[in-house]
Amino acid sequence: MEEKYSSNVLSGGQLGMVEVPDSRLTRYIVLLVISKVLKALGIFESYDILKVVHIVQFIFILKLGSAVFLLFFQKPFSSGKAISKRQWIKLLKHAVFSCVISLLGFFGLTLCGPLRTLLLFEHSDVVVIALLGVLFTNSGGGPSKTRGAAFFIIAVICLLLFDNDDLMAKMAEHPEGHHDSALTHFLYTVISFLGVADHKGGVVLLVASLCLKVGFHTASRKLSVEIGGAKRLYALDNLVSALVLLPWVIVLSATTESKVESWSSLVLPFGMIIFSVMILEFYVEAICSAKMETPRCARYGALALFFSALLLANFWTHPLTDQLRSMSKPAHYGSTEHVLSGGVLVSAIFFIMSSNILSSPSKKGQKGTLVGYSPEGTPLYNFMGDALQHTSQSLPRFIKDSLKQILEEYDSRQIFYFLCLNLAFTFVELFYGVWTNSLGLISDGFHMLFDCSALVLGLFAALMTRWKATRIFSYGYGRVEILSGFINGLFLMVIAFFVFVESVTRLLDPPNINTDMLTPVSVGGLLVNLVGICAFSHAHSHGGKSCSSHDHGHSHHGHSHSEHSHGGHGHSHGGHGHSHGGHGHGGHGHSHGSGGMNANMRGVFLHVLADTLGSVGVIISTILIRQFGWLIADPICSLFIATLIFLSVIPLLKDACEVLLLRTPPEHEKDLNNALEKIEKIEGVLSYRDPHFWRHSANMIAGTIHLQVMSDVVEQRIIQQVTAILKEAGVNNLSVQVEKEAYFQHMSGLSTGFHEVLAMTQQMESMKYLNDGTCIM
Amino acid sequence: MLPLSIKDDEYKPTKYNLLLKLSGWFRSILADKTSRNLFFFLCLNLSFAFVELTYGIWSNSLGLISDSFHMFFDCTALLAGLAASVISRWRSNDSFSYGYVRAEVLAGFVNGLFLIFTAFFIFSEGVERALEPPDVHHERLLPVSVAGLLVNLVGIFAFQHGGHGHSHGEGDHGHSHSLFNGSTSHGHSHGGHHHHDKHADSHSHGGHHHHDKHADWHSHGGHEEPHYNDELQHLPGKGSSKQILQGVLLHIIADTLGSVGVIISALLMQKYDLMIADPICSMLIAILIGVSVVPLLKESIGILMQRTPFSLDHALPECYQRVQQLQGVYNLQEPHFWTLCTDVYIGTLKLLVAPDADTRWILSQTHHIFTQAGVRQLYVQIDTAAM
Repeated sequence: MEEKYSSNVLSGGQLGMVEVPDSRLTRYIVLLVISKVLKALGIFESYDILKVVHIVQFIFILKLGSAVFLLFFQKPFSSGKAISKRQWIKLLKHAVFSCVISLLGFFGLTLCGPLRTLLLFEHSDVVVIALLGVLFTNSGGGPSKTRGAAFFIIAVICLLLFDNDDLMAKMAEHPEGHHDSALTHFLYTVISFLGVADHKGGVVLLVASLCLKVGFHTASRKLSVEIGGAKRLYALDNLVSALVLLPWVIVLSATTESKVESWSSLVLPFGMIIFSVMILEFYVEAICSAKMETPRCARYGALALFFSALLLANFWTHPLTDQLRSMSKPAHYGSTEHVLSGGVLVSAIFFIMSSNILSSPSKKGQKGTLVGYSPEGTPLYNFMGDALQHTSQSLPRFIKDSLKQILEEYDSRQIFYFLCLNLAFTFVELFYGVWTNSLGLISDGFHMLFDCSALVLGLFAALMTRWKATRIFSYGYGRVEILSGFINGLFLMVIAFFVFVESVTRLLDPPNINTDMLTPVSVGGLLVNLVGICAFSHAHSHGGKSCSSHDHGHSHHGHSHSEHSHGGHGHSHGGHGHSHGGHGHGGHGHSHGSGGMNANMRGVFLHVLADTLGSVGVIISTILIRQFGWLIADPICSLFIATLIFLSVIPLLKDACEVLLLRTPPEHEKDLNNALEKIEKIEGVLSYRDPHFWRHSANMIAGTIHLQVMSDVVEQRIIQQVTAILKEAGVNNLSVQVEKEAYFQHMSGLSTGFHEVLAMTQQMESMKYLNDGTCIM
Repeated sequence: MLPLSIKDDEYKPTKYNLLLKLSGWFRSILADKTSRNLFFFLCLNLSFAFVELTYGIWSNSLGLISDSFHMFFDCTALLAGLAASVISRWRSNDSFSYGYVRAEVLAGFVNGLFLIFTAFFIFSEGVERALEPPDVHHERLLPVSVAGLLVNLVGIFAFQHGGHGHSHGEGDHGHSHSLFNGSTSHGHSHGGHHHHDKHADSHSHGGHHHHDKHADWHSHGGHEEPHYNDELQHLPGKGSSKQILQGVLLHIIADTLGSVGVIISALLMQKYDLMIADPICSMLIAILIGVSVVPLLKESIGILMQRTPFSLDHALPECYQRVQQLQGVYNLQEPHFWTLCTDVYIGTLKLLVAPDADTRWILSQTHHIFTQAGVRQLYVQIDTAAM
């Protein structure tokens, strides 16, 4: 059948994405996938058959068929030790239980349809045990398992509440007298007694029987050891349950007339079901869990099963498949199929996720990164750094932590509050737009949402800046701030450019603007942005003041303060004064650079400023157009605004570029030169080479320097002196390499420069691996 | 004994009049193959945009005008690449002690960002149009987009050829890089391989005999030395501009794809009246652009954030271990390794050594170990442990 192949290929692709398995295991996985797909097919087929065949008869035939098959294969009587009488009794109990469980399962199938049954009933034991462990014990196995359990419960609830199945309504008015047998009648009455519709009752039934099944499997493990292997037990169990069901079936077929026209036409589907559901799956699962770890096997199996079930559910009622099945299924049973609904899809996704999480082994003890090997050959793991940072997996906890982090510091708090405000405004706008069906409002809302991305970026950067340094990012993440400022600046440039182009085209050909809607929205936007400007410029002037409290700069702050009492008019001024403030701060040194040059905040501020300017421009042009009918006012306004944005972004971009290009920090340049002069004067220092100083982030200036010293001085003293001098100049991450004369002479004797020496050592090393260093000294 | 710092003012474009400055820039643009290619392509693009603009104004077609502005915007990417390739060749001075080599990384980053923006805009436009397909006047679209496609094809050809020529012309250069890297073979270092069969040979040869005596070693060194000198003279001048090229090439490919998409959708619309073809095409192209840009962005962000280089990720722990095994070394602290520009790695670390250890020996050994791993500049601070 075609859908089998398609689903197989698809689920196979899914597997490759999840985890790259060993090539050795690939064929087992493929086998597992195929068996699961066949099983899904079999369940769908059996759902169709169950419409005609009574459920007890159906199960009897299944058990009998598989028993016959297994008797040939397994030969439970001729091989292995003999079975005692007590064991036979246990076997009988076992068989009765398994009959009850399969009865419940298949009854659920008739109620819920194949897709939902597959989703609910076919979880492997590992998943369910993990789930129950989370739910009923305290030591569930960490937050990830809790999340998995939550997903599972959500999925079940989705299936219960949000699954609007068409068939459900029909089943609800199921005539009471229609039931074929006492058993189904009993079950129906129980379910209706519970007060839920048939379909939902089926869900409950299936969940209950799933738990029963897992308990049964766990309990039967001891018996299987006693009997001599799970396979033998399975064969005997099938046989005994067929025998148990035999009297019931005889009574049934004697009392009720069968709905089946011809049993012969059902032989093929029954054979297929027996093969795929009862036998193949059992064997493949046994093999796979022997070859791979059980959790992995469960994960792949569940994935394959669910995906194939979804696909089959989609294609089962397709006319093409009906044609394909027409040889095996004589009559077509109308539109009583269970359809795919949104609720089912959502719950399927949740089931897949939860089974994935629950079946994944808990990763305790393998989180560290391999650092190397100890001299004895045992591997050394590094548990520091990023490994420890990501141990808390739980989503709510993560949100709580990051919220706490955000609110901890002034910058990120400001951004966060403003982001919330902005988002609220946007959603109100969008909602109102959708409600009144105004396209302009909706597009404006999306534009706002897009603007929010800049804020999100800024917030993220402000958070990330505080991450600890890891092995990979050995200087820490401070640079994120500068990068984010840079990106924001570039972003603004692009926007300014587009606004410019747009306004030029409008200047040539002024369009007729509908001004009715614009004013309230833009006034609202203006208000929101004004709040933002107040917040951010306040933050900035605060930071600036705290770090440059010694001397001038007061006039600037005065300026910026007066700016936000003035409101609308002063904004262009504000931007100007702001950039000046940054500059003025840059001019004088000393201030140990704490928060002074926060490119991130500057970027966000500029963005908000640009938005404000945009709103102001829209308002002014609207007024002009309304009052005087100057259509040209709009493009001119936007032209003006674009230029303003452009100009105000340039300083930010320049600063960020300089930092990214590893320039010596301009505000420290003079101090550094003085410091270098001082270093030269230290007693014993001959000269220095390659002084590199660069700003890594707002509060970190890194530096490296080579010193040549006389051969008779104490290196440690020199290092300390140099470190102290440079620290005074603002460098707080310094490494000094002290070279005594002999070393340098040797190095320079070989070639003219240090690079060449390094290159040459490399070259020589690659030719000749020298462990002993005497040759170079 | 050594110059304190190189005060090389002739590359700093100040204090000259405009004409001299311009001619200087022009010369430096034409001096290098990459920037020459970039420059010519930029000229081509600009002239195309101007023709389009004038024609648009003349025929008063708004579509053409806006398209020409779009072309101008595209030119900024090329301009960024060109500027970076010129700037990265400036000598280092007092303020920029590492030189301007990072400009290339920055240019790649900017290009990548612009591409992401473009992709985003195209995508949102595509979504908008998919919801509400507008009437596209496709009779004017076809010639313009075909012309654009031709221009971009020229660009792709030039750059791929340029890239090829790059590997040929700078074979030595590429090879020296591959030497520094140990055995990482990049695409462009292959070009120079056949020049240096001897090198490769000696390399493998040396690998087997690592217990030989120094005499042999020295003679080898003497033999290789002049060779190295002339190889390395190129190094500060010619930064290998992998990032720029990658960024520009991606940009041009994106443009080309855009033209192809427009042509296909125009044809589809003309032939079959499939109005939905246009937005679908543009969305696909946007996704394609976005996906292809991601690696470039990731790499350049990593470099800009002073990440430990990808290629050193695995080599470093072994190096640490070897350093710690040196006699007298107690501990290794604050190892920082980062990429200056393509294939130039810089590292700093602090060693805590025993009071009676031979620091000079430790220093040179540490340098050995790390240069072997490919770190070009290393700063080792040796701290003596208190008694």
